[in-house]
Amino acid sequence: MRPFIVKAIFQREMLDMVRDRRALISMVVVPLFVFPLLISVMTRIIPRIQEKSQTEAKSASIAVHVTTPGLRPALEQAGMKVVEADDLKAAVLNKTVSAGVEETPGTPPAIQIYMDNANTTSTATGDRIREVLLDARNKQVRESLKSSGLDPQILTPYTVVRTNIAGDKKMSGAAWGSMLGYVLLLLMFTGGMYPVIDMTAGEKERKTIEAFLASPARRSEIVLGKTLAAAIATLATAALTLGSLVYSVKNNASKLQGGAGSANAGQIMGTIPLDAHSLALITAALVPMALFAASVMFAIALIARSYKEAQTYLMPLVFVVIFPALLGGLPGLEFSHALYLIPIFNTSQIIHGVLLGDVNMVNYGITLAANLVYAGIAFFLATRMFQDERVLFRS
Amino acid sequence: MIHVDNLSKTFRDPKRGIHHAVDGVSFEVRPGEVFGLLGPNGAGKTTTLRMLATLLTPSSGTATLNGFDIVREPGKVREQIGFLSGDMGLYHRLTPRETLHFFSKLNCMEPGPASKRIAELLTMLDMNSFADVRGDKLSTGMKQKTAIARALLHDPPVLILDEPTSGLDVPTARTIESAVMAAKRAGKCVLYSTHVMEEAEYLCDRIGVISSGKLKTVGTMGELRAATGKERLREIFLDLLGLTAA
Repeated sequence: MRPFIVKAIFQREMLDMVRDRRALISMVVVPLFVFPLLISVMTRIIPRIQEKSQTEAKSASIAVHVTTPGLRPALEQAGMKVVEADDLKAAVLNKTVSAGVEETPGTPPAIQIYMDNANTTSTATGDRIREVLLDARNKQVRESLKSSGLDPQILTPYTVVRTNIAGDKKMSGAAWGSMLGYVLLLLMFTGGMYPVIDMTAGEKERKTIEAFLASPARRSEIVLGKTLAAAIATLATAALTLGSLVYSVKNNASKLQGGAGSANAGQIMGTIPLDAHSLALITAALVPMALFAASVMFAIALIARSYKEAQTYLMPLVFVVIFPALLGGLPGLEFSHALYLIPIFNTSQIIHGVLLGDVNMVNYGITLAANLVYAGIAFFLATRMFQDERVLFRS
Repeated sequence: MIHVDNLSKTFRDPKRGIHHAVDGVSFEVRPGEVFGLLGPNGAGKTTTLRMLATLLTPSSGTATLNGFDIVREPGKVREQIGFLSGDMGLYHRLTPRETLHFFSKLNCMEPGPASKRIAELLTMLDMNSFADVRGDKLSTGMKQKTAIARALLHDPPVLILDEPTSGLDVPTARTIESAVMAAKRAGKCVLYSTHVMEEAEYLCDRIGVISSGKLKTVGTMGELRAATGKERLREIFLDLLGLTAA
């Protein structure tokens, strides 16, 4: 293996890559713009839709079939416009009214709220009606107790309060860790896909491979130079994804709501637990993964005769990537050391652990070693295939 | 020199079965000689050249190029050859200058001598006007000149050229023919495959005609004329293939 030949091949591939529009889109444009765009939509459009629904719900038209005294006035006092309708369900479904309220006689009578959950205004109106009716019921109960000479406090002999002691950093790690690993790994594969296709099937399709193979460069040097360039593409995609995601969330932290299921979700998401130590651990875990991804994709794409054929072969790999990454979410899964031998799964779990500040260094070591071994095997296979004339000159 | 000894290549195809692309071909090419390899499409020319360039492994037989065996020492063989494939095969996103610099590194040339050699070739093949234009913007002739320059770059003792003037206009073909003649004068051993009979007649010292994987004959123009009783190479070629000239 001659390093200067590997370097020359690596440099040419990198130059080719930065001049390839398709590779740049998958490596740079998608990671840089997808998250800012998604988060911008989430933080601007979704709150506006929710706000609009809630405003509409306050003065929405509703149809009411109730006999219990005080309910209809309570709804009217809350600002809702009560209109007449014979068939409440039909009126809600055809949007004549936003929601319907029907009382079924009995002891006690049952109040049914009809709403169309496919319509945000109807949902918000239904929620608003429920609030108004519960307030009216509580008021009625309190007044009944008072008139009977009882203290309304007897209804609440004690209060129940839940307190999260995890702290913002840990909560942030849990929120980020559950998704960052999957997103990073998925985009690493998709980001490296086009450069890999271009340097394998693309080279066959453009007929540049013959002159290259007739040069004094050894097959192993060619595969190493190309694989390193592909690994850089996957790592660049990961770095840009991480940077873009962190930047977008930090800049929109105050507008994020409900993401972590708590009131201060925005603050939690904005506190990304990425210090230099965590970043170094994640980067070190991603390097063997990038080499593995590049070698596997290289070996697969090499079989193809054309760019299109290589795309067909590599697309299912995206689903293969998602599956082990999602494995971590299975309920009741025991995280034994052996599980960290599963590629992709191990890296996503390590990223999760690092962000939680709870990474097991034995598992971390197993992950690095296993992924390096898999990368080595994939590289060996790719080199063997690159020496096979049936693969290189398949027609 | 090139010494080809009973070279054969068999492909196994699930649909077509066993196909003998090259069948016991033997010939030799001496230093300072241009050897023309002629044959109809599918005759086995490209497969022969690919085996000599170590891209394909022979099913049987072997060859030596400048003393190195294509089966046992493929790496050494590749250091001895300048290879031009029939498809040119240029990187679309690199300029001719970048392509030549890249191949100079693959051929282990030092940066200084490489730059000097590239400048020489750019001038010799009249490439200076497009040396810094990307491959996808070049005409067929410009691309072929670049491919020829790539083959000549490391001054190899053996040149293997597969249809180097195919699809080119007359002035560009002339430039490439001149480069081949210059290589011959410099003592290079040139194996030249072509479909253009006039070109083979003009350039080649000896000619081999290959058909259905077998080498039908080898000789100088004089020897081929004497053997067939025909004057022009086109007539000789058709006669050897058992066809009649129009």
